[in-house]
Amino acid sequence: MFLALNAGAALAQSGGWLVIVPTCLMILLTLALAAVSVRRISFHALQAQHTRRERSSAEDLGEFILDTTHLDLRREPGPQLARMIQQIFAIEAVAIFDADLHKVYQAGEWLSDLENVVQNISLFESVTQDPEVGLPRRVLRIGNLPIGALLLRGEISAFTSDAIASVVAITFDRYHSHANVSRTENARQAEQLRTAVLDSLAHAYKTPLTAIRAASTGLSEMGCLAPAQFELVALIDEQAGVLAELTTRLLKTARLQAQDLTLRPEKVAVAPLIDDVVASFRERLNNTSVRTVVSREDLTIRCDRDLLVALLTQYVDNAGKYSTPGSTVTVQATEHPGEIIFSVHNLGPVIPLADHARIFDRYFRCAVSAGKIPGTGIGLSVAKRAAQAHGGNVWLTSDCERGTTFFASLLVPPEGGPG
Amino acid sequence: MSSSIRVLLVDDEVAIRRALRTPLNELGFQTVEASRGEEALHLFRTESFDVVLLDIQMPGIGGMKTLVRLRALAPRLPILILTVQDSEEQKVEALECGADDYITKPFSIRECIARIRSAVRRAQTPERPEDAPVQIGEIQILPMRRLVSKSGRSIHLTRKEYDILYYLMIHAGRAVTYGKLLGSVWGVEYRTEFDYLRTFIRQLRKKIEDDPSNPKYLLTDPYVGYRFAENPISEDLCNRPATASEEISDTNSP
Repeated sequence: MFLALNAGAALAQSGGWLVIVPTCLMILLTLALAAVSVRRISFHALQAQHTRRERSSAEDLGEFILDTTHLDLRREPGPQLARMIQQIFAIEAVAIFDADLHKVYQAGEWLSDLENVVQNISLFESVTQDPEVGLPRRVLRIGNLPIGALLLRGEISAFTSDAIASVVAITFDRYHSHANVSRTENARQAEQLRTAVLDSLAHAYKTPLTAIRAASTGLSEMGCLAPAQFELVALIDEQAGVLAELTTRLLKTARLQAQDLTLRPEKVAVAPLIDDVVASFRERLNNTSVRTVVSREDLTIRCDRDLLVALLTQYVDNAGKYSTPGSTVTVQATEHPGEIIFSVHNLGPVIPLADHARIFDRYFRCAVSAGKIPGTGIGLSVAKRAAQAHGGNVWLTSDCERGTTFFASLLVPPEGGPG
Repeated sequence: MSSSIRVLLVDDEVAIRRALRTPLNELGFQTVEASRGEEALHLFRTESFDVVLLDIQMPGIGGMKTLVRLRALAPRLPILILTVQDSEEQKVEALECGADDYITKPFSIRECIARIRSAVRRAQTPERPEDAPVQIGEIQILPMRRLVSKSGRSIHLTRKEYDILYYLMIHAGRAVTYGKLLGSVWGVEYRTEFDYLRTFIRQLRKKIEDDPSNPKYLLTDPYVGYRFAENPISEDLCNRPATASEEISDTNSP
């Protein structure tokens, strides 16, 4: 018990709960095994020499458990485990196979084909003694799942071999859990860093742009400019606005282009979300009216709100830029079995059929718009990524009679299923 | 009105202060500058101001803490925060910490002046008796009888629709966050039921707007909240980028 307490205290200081829980289980398991061992000793009280050996094994097991709890799980535990087993149990040689890392660790002298031997134990073994030379060998398991193998050479009981195999298996499991936690933590820190860098960039770009816009519009408002001067100041203001828009879009794209894009699904009411997106274009859609059609007033979808906003923003922005002045842009959401299809329709230049497949590729700009209407060729790739992240897709139709419609389907997870 | 307005301009970026100072002074405002929140608080204790323009992202104690401390010192002082696009959470936090409004960088001087005037005007308006009629544009509310009409025609609203409309109209011109509106109409435990509120707003727009898709009164501040247009006829002029032929007008100036 003292060993267990010590081990628990050491873990509490050095690791997280993911490490502590399996370790506690390991300690309890091994103490139970040790207790059985002690009971066995009492059953064979008359066999004094044998009893001393068993008692010694129980003590060795206790020492082994304690040492494993102090292992540095930032490094592979295999080499240390092999050395510890050889030294503590005073045996000739140890070989351990970690199936997850596909590595063999050894202490002491072994034959050259050791790697195949231990791998075969992990893959095929069901007996606990080598049928030819009588070496103890064990499949390492977590539950029923084989995760490696253990091969020992030296004087050691079957019971102690079982206990060592259990401790090694649990130690491997702890190591892999620890590695997973570290990977998750590294990803989280990378995400935080990316956000911080992008925020900092946004601030760095927007400061001079704000100064330029405030100065140019200030000059206009002061009203003492000749017409030619006024024209030039208006141009500065207009282009500062374009640059600000471009900056915003690039930064937004950078956020969405993260390789490890993680969905944050939530229940979203479709009609109000479309209202928000349309409202964000209020100033830019002066000559275009927007009509919203939602198949059901209370239609909801479980999705990542930010990604859906990014998708619809891109579609509405495109429709606004390319629509015939005075025409109406229609934003629609319709329910279909297993999916909701969003569409944005406008009247304007036709997108050639040959461009339909490539228009959602990053940096692609079709001949209709390139050089005439400001754009980067990035936005539609973001829309595609947003739809695909929800198991959906994007496509478009475009002809002179019916105008241009961009579609996006988003899969609707089954009720009660994971988000 | 503008000749007497004293503006405390708080921004750590000297370029922004310079770009604002010159046209504001030239157009009749008086500006005093601070580069940090601490400096702004010190100035505020020794001088009087009609309005504060406060950058939210600053070193030192930062804009948010400065806002909270200024609000504690002067409950009715108009404070406008300067933020960047895509910082909706920051805008919401600032509005709920007592900011009167926000201006998104990069902004035009026209928009900045319109917001300053609007905030100062609201602060100078005497408090309205609770049961006094409210009239904005064609919409009128008679709180005593819970009646709403548009151009003299009665409009039937549900109890909650009326409560929302009344709250937004008595705070006309101000951005009201979703949380604030939900908390005021439904209670604090409903502060996160945003979609619920959005559904009510859609219904309300159908009843009071000529074209609910292009609302004139009940405006959306995207991802932040709602704003009842203070002056619906000239609201579009305030939001539209300046053009050569337009001059700044202050229709509410005495």
